[in-house]
Amino acid sequence: MRKALHNMNPSVKFLLITVCMFTMAFYFDPWTPLVFWGGVLVLQILFSQISWKKWLLFMLPFFVTAIGYFWTTLVFSEDQSGPVIWSLWNVNITEAQLNHAMSLSFRVLAFSSLSLMFALTTNPVTFVMSLMQQLKLSPKIAYGIMVGYQFLPVLKDEFVQIGQAHRLRGVGLEKNAIQRLLGMRSVLIPMLAGAVRKAERAAFAMEARGFTGERRSSYFQVISIGKVDFIIVALFLLVLVLSCTNKFWLG
Amino acid sequence: MHDIIQFTDVSFRYPDEDKWILKDLSFSIQNGERVVITGPSGCGKTTLLYLGNRLYPDNCDGILTGSVKLFGKESTSYIPGEINHRIATVFQDPDAQFCMQTVEEELAFTLENLHVPREEMETRISEILTLTDLSEFRHATIQKLSGGQKQRIATACALIMEPEVLLLDEPISHLDPYTAKKYVEWLNQLQQKRQMTIVAIEHRLDLWENFFDRSIPLIQGEPSSPLERRKNSLREDASLVANKIKAKPFLKETSFSLKQGEVTVLAGPNGSGKSTLLKALCQLIPSSGNVEPSFLGYVPQSPEFLFLTKSVRDEVAYGGGNNTEEILSRLQLQSVSEAHPFAVSHGQKRRVAIAAMLCDGREIILMDEPTSGQDAIALSELFQLIDERARSGSTFVIVTHDMEFAYCLADSILLMNDGRLTGKFDADDVWKNESLLLDHHLLPPKGVLNYEKSFA
Amino acid sequence: MLKSWKLKEIVLMSLFAVVFGIVYLLFLHIGNIWAGFIGPIAYEWIFGIWFIVSIICMYIIRKPGAAVVSETIAAAIEVLLGNAVGPRLILSGVIQGLGAEAVFAATRYKRFDLWVLMLAGVGSSVFSFVYGYFLGGFSVFSTGYVALMFGIRILSGAVIAGIGGKALSDGLLATGSLRGYAISRTNKGDVRA
Ligand SMILES: Nc1ncnc2c1ncn2[C@@H]1O[C@H](COP(=O)(O)OP(=O)(O)OP(=O)(O)O)[C@@H](O)[C@H]1O
Ligand SMILES: Nc1ncnc2c1ncn2[C@@H]1O[C@H](COP(=O)(O)OP(=O)(O)OP(=O)(O)O)[C@@H](O)[C@H]1O
Ligand SMILES: [Mg+2]
Ligand SMILES: [Mg+2]
Repeated sequence: MRKALHNMNPSVKFLLITVCMFTMAFYFDPWTPLVFWGGVLVLQILFSQISWKKWLLFMLPFFVTAIGYFWTTLVFSEDQSGPVIWSLWNVNITEAQLNHAMSLSFRVLAFSSLSLMFALTTNPVTFVMSLMQQLKLSPKIAYGIMVGYQFLPVLKDEFVQIGQAHRLRGVGLEKNAIQRLLGMRSVLIPMLAGAVRKAERAAFAMEARGFTGERRSSYFQVISIGKVDFIIVALFLLVLVLSCTNKFWLG
Repeated sequence: MHDIIQFTDVSFRYPDEDKWILKDLSFSIQNGERVVITGPSGCGKTTLLYLGNRLYPDNCDGILTGSVKLFGKESTSYIPGEINHRIATVFQDPDAQFCMQTVEEELAFTLENLHVPREEMETRISEILTLTDLSEFRHATIQKLSGGQKQRIATACALIMEPEVLLLDEPISHLDPYTAKKYVEWLNQLQQKRQMTIVAIEHRLDLWENFFDRSIPLIQGEPSSPLERRKNSLREDASLVANKIKAKPFLKETSFSLKQGEVTVLAGPNGSGKSTLLKALCQLIPSSGNVEPSFLGYVPQSPEFLFLTKSVRDEVAYGGGNNTEEILSRLQLQSVSEAHPFAVSHGQKRRVAIAAMLCDGREIILMDEPTSGQDAIALSELFQLIDERARSGSTFVIVTHDMEFAYCLADSILLMNDGRLTGKFDADDVWKNESLLLDHHLLPPKGVLNYEKSFA
Repeated sequence: MLKSWKLKEIVLMSLFAVVFGIVYLLFLHIGNIWAGFIGPIAYEWIFGIWFIVSIICMYIIRKPGAAVVSETIAAAIEVLLGNAVGPRLILSGVIQGLGAEAVFAATRYKRFDLWVLMLAGVGSSVFSFVYGYFLGGFSVFSTGYVALMFGIRILSGAVIAGIGGKALSDGLLATGSLRGYAISRTNKGDVRA
């Protein structure tokens, strides 16, 4: 069970996370997202083996975002009712404002944790395979996505290499930002032209391997739904219910 | 015997082009035949192959007249992908003919397409990997393999379908000579065992020996005189000095130096790190150590990402050389000089990159497999051009698997194995040292063999 | 619908998605840094990079569905790249794609000039903003602030996705690599397009 989140069916995980996020979107009090966030973290500790160093590194930008949300909500909040609890120069912060600000910040953190949990426990290939096997994604699209994914490191390298190859051929380095932005075009067009070629050849190769786009009758890598999935789904829903009902048990 | 592939009065041209690439072509191929299609670079061999497995004209809006029959039925009557498990193809470009990440997934993808039951997949995958001697690559990430390795994987993917016809587009052009020889041997055995029909495109027939029953020449190429060994043009002054070049994780620390006017061939087995070394020298990949000077010319193994402009002529003229026209015509590029560099044949693309570098007036030029996919005339022009430039003091590092070409051209030889430079050798010492050659998957060139025979 | 799609068109969308996924990631870092100082509005101006895929793909392929399918693929690829925003991107991809698709559908897939492309960018902006309004809880912000965000996003959609998308596709068309796609056929006035 220590790796349950890694082992569970990616499509189920995907749907579960989507449901959780949509539910959260209806709440504007600080406690609901906070409790939910806490719950997610507890589940993550119990059922995954994510390296926390990595987690913190990825979470860092979201903490920054959350702070941004916090103060913009304070300043630009619509609802300014309630008693003033804090006064700075001429700005009066009311209770409603503070609540909204905290709520949105915690929401950012809760969403980010959920997403990050998905990203760090899901194997991309298994995810696509599962979308095809469980959610009946068309094989044409599923394998189209796989091709793109498989080319990712190549295209990433190319991004750097085209720039360097152009330098090698004597294209000057642009100094200011606008020139660099226009220079982006001279890298992007060969990139895209290369992508068109690659796409065509990869599609030819797929056809040449007998790919017709019809559904397959058997899979080499079978992805199934099992007991683990039910348990995890149940636990997440429990956390969801607990956080939405916090009014009753938090007092 | 019945016709498997039958072309009757086939003409074909690409959209937007006035020139017919194929004109009134008729031929047929019978079951179990071994046929080679020959013709100079850019004459339409690859195009012909695409017509033979139904990828064209469906996928390119090209204009086709005449009839192409596959297994006795008009090719257009099949849906995309339907005929392809009976006619398997290995494409010319090793970089872009895969759609999954690892070798195993790619093979499994192929089997799933054929609706092979799951229980059978495992055995078929291990069988084909054993057969092609690729078991060690089973879990390898395809895009991280070398050009030659990818080419072999592509063949395995074609063979796992147990096709009736195998179409091969220059299947050994990126293989080292030893591997190429073995490739031909097992293809031979396999063909006898399975009675496949084999249609291959090939410029260099010597490695194939008597493999083919007959050839279909698309255009009768002009006969070209065999290459003569060049005299060395070494000068005293050093030109390229590489000091402690190292690129993680594969390339070990490498140092060597070259003199002005020196032509050196960099050789070694597939995956030994030749391309990696050249990229490190040009600082295209992160590496430590230093290279003097830093302004180098470079023709990559896949030349496409060098291209900057909209026409072959502009591309070649880009560096501001004044002999553009001469080089264009010498490298047989006049006929496509207005075409976009992305829309020419494989061999032509390679020559465009070579021409661009030669025109730039660089003192040091690194070329990664400039010989692959070139016909005899282009090869001999390339040889002359390199010779002339070396005489005027330029330095060349050339990666090639073509032993004849290397033999005629090289002053010195850099040998690589497993990411490590074995050393820099005098060319003559290498050609005579059979164990050294074999260690690096090379074969003695015919020039040497003939020479030895005459003394035997 | 997928039956009429050639495999190479689908793979093309996927590779374009990867290219712009890389570009987007480059800009996202900048957005992330700013977000700390100026709040959610920091992301608004780069939204156009998101929409560009659907506009370029529709402009090139010109088949009903090209905008939605390409944007969805782009989002899926982004998730595969390990984008920490994660699974909810897929849904936003569908919604953004629908925005652009709606505009193309309104012209019955007949017009692909600059205005239509810019409008498509705006379409994506509007759809995605409504979705973001809900998920991001923008309703708590004052009307002025929301209007400003909305304005920037529309501008980004029209300029980066619309104008930028057209400029890039036209540049690409000039390279001749788009032969065999609808965009090359119509430019010659071919009836098949
Ligand atoms: N996509 C394309 N659009 C337009 N013209 C093309 C395209 N691909 C190839 N050509 C042209 O068609 C001709 C034949 O190309 P093809 O690739 O079939 O040659 P080839 O015989 O295989 O050459 P090589 O031995 O160099 O691979 C070339 O002159 C090339 O310029
Ligand atoms: N992008 C990459 N990432 C990681 N490893 C790589 C990458 N490209 C190549 N390699 C590895 O580096 C080694 C050397 O590859 P390289 O392409 O330099 O070989 P090569 O000598 O040029 O072979 P060939 O003759 O087949 O072209 C190979 O074992 C390959 O697996
Ligand atoms: Mg060819
Ligand atoms: Mg190589």
